Parts: sequence; C-alpha cells; structure tokens
Amino acid sequence: MSKLGHVVEAVENYNRFVEDEVKRARSDKKFGRQMLERWDEIKRNIKIGTAPTGLKLPRLALPEIDEAGDITRYLLGEGLPGEFPYLSGAYREMYLEPWQEPKIELGSFEKNGRKKNGQNKNGHAENGASGLTKPKQAEEPTRLFSGLMLAEDTNKRFHFLSAHQRSKRLSTAFDGVTLYGIDSDADGVLGKIGEGGVAVDTVEDMMRLYDGFELGSPNFSASMTISGPAPIIMAMYIAAAKRRFGPEVVPNLRGTIQADIFKEVQAQNETIFPTEASLRFLGDMMEWTTRHMPRWYPVSISGYHIGEAGSTPVQQAAYTLSNGFAYAEMMAKRGLSADEFGPRLSFFLDCGLDVEYIALTRVSRRIWAIGMRDVFGAGPKAQLFKVHTQTSGRSLIAAEFRNNLTRTAAELMLAYMNGTNSSHSNSADEPFTTPSEEWIRLSAHSQAILLEESGIFKHVMNMLSGSPGMKAVERAVEAAILEEFRQIESLGGVMGAVENRYQRSQIQNAAHRYEEQIYNGTRPMIALNKYRNEHEEMPEFELARTPRAKQQLQVHRLQQFKKKNAKKAEQALEKLIGVVETDENCFPALMEAAEVCSLGQIVTRLQEVVGRFRPMV
Amino acid sequence: MSAPVRILTAVPICDGHDSAINTINLEFIRHGIEVVYLGFHRYAGDIVRAAIQEDVGAIGISSYNGGHVEFFAEVVRQLKKYNAADIKVFGGGGGTITHDDQRIMQRNGVDKIFFAGTSLGDMTQWVRQRYGTARKRSLGKSPDMKLARKLTEIEDSYAQRKRPRKKSAAKRHSLGKTRVLGFTGPGGAGKTTLIDEIVLRLLQREPKASVAILSHDPSVVGAGALLGDRATMINSQDDRVFMRSMATRGQAGGLSPATEDCLALLAQSDFDYVIIETVGTGQEAMPFQSKLIDQTVLVMNPDYGARLQLQKIVMLDLADIVVVNKSDLDRAKTAANEIERRLEGSKREQRLISTVAKRHRDRGVDKLCDLLMEKK
Ligand code: B12
Repeated sequence: MSKLGHVVEAVENYNRFVEDEVKRARSDKKFGRQMLERWDEIKRNIKIGTAPTGLKLPRLALPEIDEAGDITRYLLGEGLPGEFPYLSGAYREMYLEPWQEPKIELGSFEKNGRKKNGQNKNGHAENGASGLTKPKQAEEPTRLFSGLMLAEDTNKRFHFLSAHQRSKRLSTAFDGVTLYGIDSDADGVLGKIGEGGVAVDTVEDMMRLYDGFELGSPNFSASMTISGPAPIIMAMYIAAAKRRFGPEVVPNLRGTIQADIFKEVQAQNETIFPTEASLRFLGDMMEWTTRHMPRWYPVSISGYHIGEAGSTPVQQAAYTLSNGFAYAEMMAKRGLSADEFGPRLSFFLDCGLDVEYIALTRVSRRIWAIGMRDVFGAGPKAQLFKVHTQTSGRSLIAAEFRNNLTRTAAELMLAYMNGTNSSHSNSADEPFTTPSEEWIRLSAHSQAILLEESGIFKHVMNMLSGSPGMKAVERAVEAAILEEFRQIESLGGVMGAVENRYQRSQIQNAAHRYEEQIYNGTRPMIALNKYRNEHEEMPEFELARTPRAKQQLQVHRLQQFKKKNAKKAEQALEKLIGVVETDENCFPALMEAAEVCSLGQIVTRLQEVVGRFRPMV
Repeated sequence: MSAPVRILTAVPICDGHDSAINTINLEFIRHGIEVVYLGFHRYAGDIVRAAIQEDVGAIGISSYNGGHVEFFAEVVRQLKKYNAADIKVFGGGGGTITHDDQRIMQRNGVDKIFFAGTSLGDMTQWVRQRYGTARKRSLGKSPDMKLARKLTEIEDSYAQRKRPRKKSAAKRHSLGKTRVLGFTGPGGAGKTTLIDEIVLRLLQREPKASVAILSHDPSVVGAGALLGDRATMINSQDDRVFMRSMATRGQAGGLSPATEDCLALLAQSDFDYVIIETVGTGQEAMPFQSKLIDQTVLVMNPDYGARLQLQKIVMLDLADIVVVNKSDLDRAKTAANEIERRLEGSKREQRLISTVAKRHRDRGVDKLCDLLMEKK
C-alpha cells in the first residue's frame, strides 16, 4: 500500500473516531460535562465587534447547539477556525478587520488572554499571485501574475505594479520557450519568445528581471510560475541573488516556485525529463531548499491546471491532494521529518462556479490535516493546508466578455467562503490575451470590494460556513475524493496511476463532457447558449505581442553569453552530469552550472543522461 | 462504404494547451473521423512530415500561446515546399486568435479558423464536409509522399470493398536487405515505448539505416479512431523514419484488413527495417500469419495475473522473442521465471528478455536491439 492508502484509512478512522466520541459524550457523563464546559468557555471568549452601522456582532460565529454530542461532533469533526482538522479555517482571524479595543471594557473579554489582537497570520502570501487575504489600508492588492517580452520589460511592469507597496510580492510568468527549457536561439522558436510571459535564458536575464528589488529583504518575495525546468530556474535565481547581494543572502530568500511535476504530467504538459528523473531533480531541490532556505516554498502543489484542463472539482482536489501526499512520501524517504518539510509545502487551487466549490478547499484542508498528522506524524504547523486560490480562467468566455467580471466576483466569493489564504482574480479579458492594465485593475478591485468594502467577511469569522447545504456538499465531496484515492491506490499509487494515464484520461473525459454540456444546452453559459446577443461583434483588443526586434535582441544576448562562458560552461556541465550519474543530491552542482550555462544548455545535457519526457496522449 | 476522413491534429511548439484539441479529437472520432494525433509542443517540421507520411486530408492545429500567425504560416510554407499543398490547414485557439489575425492567416493560405464559442457539432460537420469528399491529389514527388499515397490507395480500396479479402499471397521482392519485425502483446505492456526505444537505437547504431513503422490503433464505435502513437514515439519523428498509423477499421485480431498489402508494399520499398505493431491483443490472438515477417516479438506486462493465464496465451508458442517489459515492477522476477518455464516446453528456439523501456539507455532494450539486428 502506498501512503495514499493509509490516508484513506486515516480519514475513515478519524470519522469513526468522531462518531465514537459523540456517543461517548452522550453516554459518559464526565466527558459530556467536559465538552459542555469547553463550549461555554469558547463562547465566553468571543469578542463582540461593531459594524459601521453600529450593529454589534460576535467575531466568531458558532452553530446553535447545546447538547454534548453535537458539540463534540462540531469541535472534533470541523474544528474552530485555526483548530484541527481545520475545516472551518487554517487560521483564526483571517479576513477580519483588526480588532479595536472597545472603549468600555466588557468583563468577559478579559479572560480571553489573547494579547495580540487582530493578528493576521497570512500563511501564504508568498505564493500569492495577487491579493493578500488581509485587507490592507494604504495598498492596492495588485500583486498580479505578470511576465511579458524581455526581462527588462517585465522588470518595468514589476516596478509599476509594486510602486506603492511596502512589501513587494512579485509573481512571474515565463514564456513558453522558457517553460519548455529551450534556449531562445534554438531553431523554430522565434515568434514565441516573450509571448505569454518573460523570456529567461541565463542568470543575466534573471538579474535584469529583478533589478532594483531587494532580494532577501523581509519585504520582498518572488513567486515563479514554472515547473518543468524549475530546479534549473531556481538555481539561476539563487545565482542572480548571490551576484547582487553575496552568498549571505541565500537563507533569507523568500518566495515560491511552482515546481509541481505531477500536475505537469497530468494536466499542464510542461515536463521535459522522464517523470522519474524530473521527480529526482525536484526532490534534490526541495531537500536542499528545505535545509538551506527556510523561508522558501519549493513546491506549489497545484490543482489549478488540473481544473483548467477540464477536470471536475472533485478530481481536481483528489489529484492535487494525492500528489501532495506523494511528495510528502518522497521527502520522508529522503529522511526529512514531516515537521521539516510539511510547513514548506503549499497548495494552489482553482475556483469555478460548480457547486462543489462551495466547500472544496474546506474539505481539502481537512483531509490534508488528518493525513499529515495521522500518516506522516506531523505537528500543527505541518498539518496546515495553505492555499492560494485563482478564479477559473476557463469559465471566462469571449461572448459578451464583460460578464466575466461577474463570474470572477462570484468565484472569488466562493474562494473566500473557503478561507483561502491568498487569491488571484482573473481579468475579464482572459479569453483573449495577456490581461491589460484596465481589466487587471478591475479584477484586483473585486478582491478589495469583497474583503474591504463589503461586510461579508470582515466582521465575523466563519460567517458563511456550516450551513446545512454546505455540510451536505462537504460530505458528498469528501466521500468522492476518498473514492478517487482508492482508484489511484488500486493502480499502485500516484506514480502507478500516472503511468496508466489514469488522471489524464479522467480529466479528458470530464473536459469533453463539459464542452458537450455547453453545446447541448444543459450547462447554461450566459450570452453563449442562453440570452445570446446575435448581433454581438467580437471585441478587438490591443494584444501584447513581442516585437521581432526584441526577440532578436534576446537571441543576440544569449549568444554573447554562450561565447563568453563557453569554456566554463563545458566544465560545469561535465561536473553536473558526473553528479547526476550518482545518486547524490545534484542541486549544488546545478547551482554552479547556472552561473555560466544557459537553461537550454543544461536541459540538453541532462536529457542526454536521463532522456527526454515521453508525452502521453 | 467510403473511406473515413483522415486528419492530423497537433499543438504548436512551446504550447501545452491540449485540452481543446483532446476534446475535439474525442468528438471527431465519435463521428467517424480518423485522427492522427501528434500531441502538444510540436515543431512545424514534425507536423508536416507526419501529415505527409500519414497522407491526411488536413491538419488541425490548436494554438494558445501566441505566435499563431507565424506558426500556421510556417506549416503552410513547408507543405508547399514538399508539394503537399493539397493538405489543408485549419485550427483554432479560442479567443487568442483575433478576427484580424484570421484575415492574415487566410491570406497566408490557412483554410479556416474556429473562434471561441463554436459548437463541437458545427466543427465536426464542417470537417466532415470539407475534407470528406475525395480530392484530386497529386501523386507527389518525394519518396515519402509517393509511398504514403500508395498506402492510402490500398487502405481506401479495402474500405470501398473493391478488393477481395483474400489471404495474402504477397511474396518478398527484395530479399535480404529489409528486416520485418512484428511486435504484439496485451494493452498496457509498453509496446509503443519499446518500439520507439528500438528505433532510437537503430538510428544511432546504423547512421544510414531507414526504418518504416506500421502502427495500429483500434477503431471505435462510429468508425473513427484516435491514432495517438506518434505523440508518444518521440524518437520516431525523424527524417529517416517513415511512420504510418492505421486504424483496425472493424477487423478483430490486432490488425487492419489492409495491413498485409501495406506491409508488402513497405517490405518492397527500400527500408532497412520495417516494424509492425498490433493493437493491444487478447490471449488467443495470433496476428502475425504473414510470411513477410522475419521476427516476431511478444511484449508482456508482468501483471498478467495468475500463472494459469500463461497457458492460454497463444503467442507464447509462436513468438521468436518474448519480452517482459516493466521489469522494474515488483512482480517482474516471478513473471520472468514463470514465462521461462512456460517456454521450456517449446520445440522452437525462443528468447526471453527483460526490459524497462521507459528507462533511458536500458540495458535490456539494448540486448533486444542486438537480437533484432542479428543477421540470420
Ligand atoms: C485552460 C487554459 C490553461 C490550462 C491548459 C490545460 C490544458 N492541458 O490544456 C493551464 C492552466 C495549464 C494553462 C496554462 C498556461 N496558459 Co492558459 N489558458 C487556458 C484558458 C483558460 C482556456 C483555454 C481552453 O482550453 N478553452 C477551452 C476550449 C475548448 O475552448 P476555446 O478556447 O474557446 O476554443 C474553441 C475554438 O477556438 C475551437 N478550437 C480551439 N482549438 C481548435 C483546434 C481545432 C483543430 C479546431 C477545429 C477548433 C479549435 O474549439 C473550441 C470550442 O469552440 C485560456 C483563456 C480562455 N478563457 O480562453 C488561457 C490562455 C490560453 N492561457 C494563456 C497562457 C499565457 C498560459 C501560460 C503560458 C501561462 C504561464 N505563463 O504559465 C500557461 C502555459 C501552458 C502550456 N503548457 O503551454 C493565455 C495565452 C495568452 C496569449 N496567447 O496571448 C490565455 C489566453 C489566458 C490569458 N489571457 O492570459 N492555461
């Protein structure tokens, strides 16, 4: 049995445990009384806040129950926000307005004992492509995914976007050429350079990309959306940081690199080495950063791409969680403890409009916590499912595209109902091109409107959780996820299922059904198959395209770099493959190679040793 | 009955957006279209080579990561270069291809762009109508194209039932040079990967050698077929390799009604190796009756179940070489032993080899390649 099988058992056992405890609370007087007392104490400690209208509201909402069994089921089965199994939330206050000490002291609050009011443990801003969960005063939450043309162009965009921000959190999109580990001077890629993201070939590009930013400062973090060549890009980032700030900077680097290779094989299709070799390079990097870069998130376990490739919400959660457990198993095998690697794992989910999304993240958080605690022996910090949520790009369509604002806002609301740690809202022009500033601004504002302007999330934790409908969805979703786990387990665990094309074929069938439903009308898409405006014309956008001259400049720079470093590059590559042939950790050698080699040079040489990825249909 | 519409689909280089094309492929094959799918992240040159060898009526490209104007133009340019301009180019890319782009692309010779919001039904119907009617085609100049078009003639004549379904009397013309190798085995055993690894080695070991591959995939209900082996066979997308994907078109047993004649044609052409791969076969299957085949290889998955199952596998008596692939699996040792015992009873000389085809530079595959290259 792989660890996934044990996770299934652990969740089943936990659910049984909860029900047993419920019975015990009802039959064992003493235990029942303890639960009631605890409930009373929780209630006593709830602070009362005031809405702008003057209405007084409790900052924590609880179900209206007073019987010991029900209380037990709630406290153990769901947990208060910030308490195991974290169904209600990973942290306590999350989106709440900072606590203001009331002028007249209320007796009951003194017992609370909490000194730091209004703390907001933003577990995961680093991973964030955009808005923080915490409503900030003087800042606009415009931390958006960007990458365009050459490094200096993206750098300019970064400075523009973060000009008014105290803490600068940049999220980097790479062009397809980089995502596939190919050099810009390779045959057949001219025309693709700088499209859809920034072109990065060398450590020098990396330096230009983050020029003027204080890497290693607590107020700076970089997020890099790249997976296939992630270990190499990571090595380049470290090399660039060292060149500018010296080797001391390394332990202080903050940020996230996506790096999740399972979802590449399953959904995003940017794998460049055979799966096992890719996992080895990833594991080497994860192990190294976990030991030497305590503030770095070396993998963002992503359901987003699975969802966008057309999976059902349950498939998305099931494959993402199982991939996560497979990484945990991999790190454990390398001798790291769950408390070492657990806190460095983070997640990235998609949020669309299907009903499952009301509770998908909540359930995921619960399953992750139980699995990490009971199968991997993780302590509290390593049990947390820290998640960045992006609204669904696929749900955004070309027909009357302004409707996409509404779709995104609704999805964002669902994401907040799930207590996401950070979020990115897509722009309404998503179907057409790299978002333009006009629409980026609107989508960023939708976050602020929901969290800051509206009263939905800022007064009461748990505001929209725990309704009977939501609970029904939670139960159905959890059961369905466990069923998917069993399927995967029966195929030999995640790796076996991957080799059997299991996840891919499931996703493809779901995607086909989705499109079929749109065109047979059973899945309403407003302005497409319902309330359609027959006279609508396709809008024309100004598209972000990289001028040929810039593409040629990139090629020229790369060739200069290669000429300059030719000798050293050869030595570094020889050394690298020497290590790769052993089972030593090759990340240190990769960092050396990244100083003098281009991305493509490293990839090509590694492929000679480990082979190329063999795509699956 | 007329021959099914045959098209090739692919996603351009540096682009992994395959969700749309996967959906469209599924829709097409359910409506009687044969789709040769080349996969994502493909160079224009690979697409054109494949389209010519497969002799498809049209190429459908799904592009999302930008650069579509250039990419489509490059495909059209290369088709012209090889005198294959009768192969049409169409495609889509959701909202990323604008109306302005489309106008330029059509001026560059692209047949049709499907915009976001087009129903699957409309696309399928359009493709069937536009590419379904028999075209007048040049016979082609390059050897690849000539051969490809002859293969189409053979396939189509069977589809139109012009040819009697006779047992083949084909004889080998050019004796000696060409070696014909047959690969078969159950689904999931890794035949395709194994063949691709063999091709890689053949090309490396014999720098002048040329290889032809005849690969089979099942037709589905509705008579279409997804011919996806090319997507996986990365090493076989090479100028020295001629690959043809065939659908079984209703015939059971692992091959197509036209296979024998196609194989005869390939065996007479100037290849050093001709490799034929059946679809995943059942226990009773014995697909290689042909006299044209020099050596047969049965590829097994170690997870065949209980030992008793082995008795029922007919090919174990017939194959020249039995390969236990995926020999990194736990069960592989036992499997190899059980199969060895099963082969002991045989009167013929049979070889047993264990491989891990998915592993780069696998020694087992090296050994298999040695055996296949041994001149008898
Ligand atoms: C799904 C998706 C993804 C998924 C892809 C999963 C997968 N395996 O396919 C994920 C999340 C992995 C992804 C990643 C990226 N994506 Co993306 N993605 C999309 C998205 C949301 C939908 C595309 C889609 O599949 N739609 C469903 C199909 C069925 O419908 P359709 O697109 O409307 O197409 C219709 C017709 O055009 C036609 N059609 C399409 N192709 C063909 C082909 C033929 C032959 C025919 C007959 C018809 C046809 O069929 C459809 C039915 O009517 C679009 C935005 C959007 N809303 O459109 C961005 C989008 C395409 N992505 C984009 C980008 C930039 C990326 C990334 C490069 C981001 C990055 N830097 O990391 C990566 C690259 C991934 C890669 N490997 O290449 C950009 C492209 C920008 C541009 N060209 O200027 C877009 C437009 C989003 C944006 N505005 O930024 N993406």
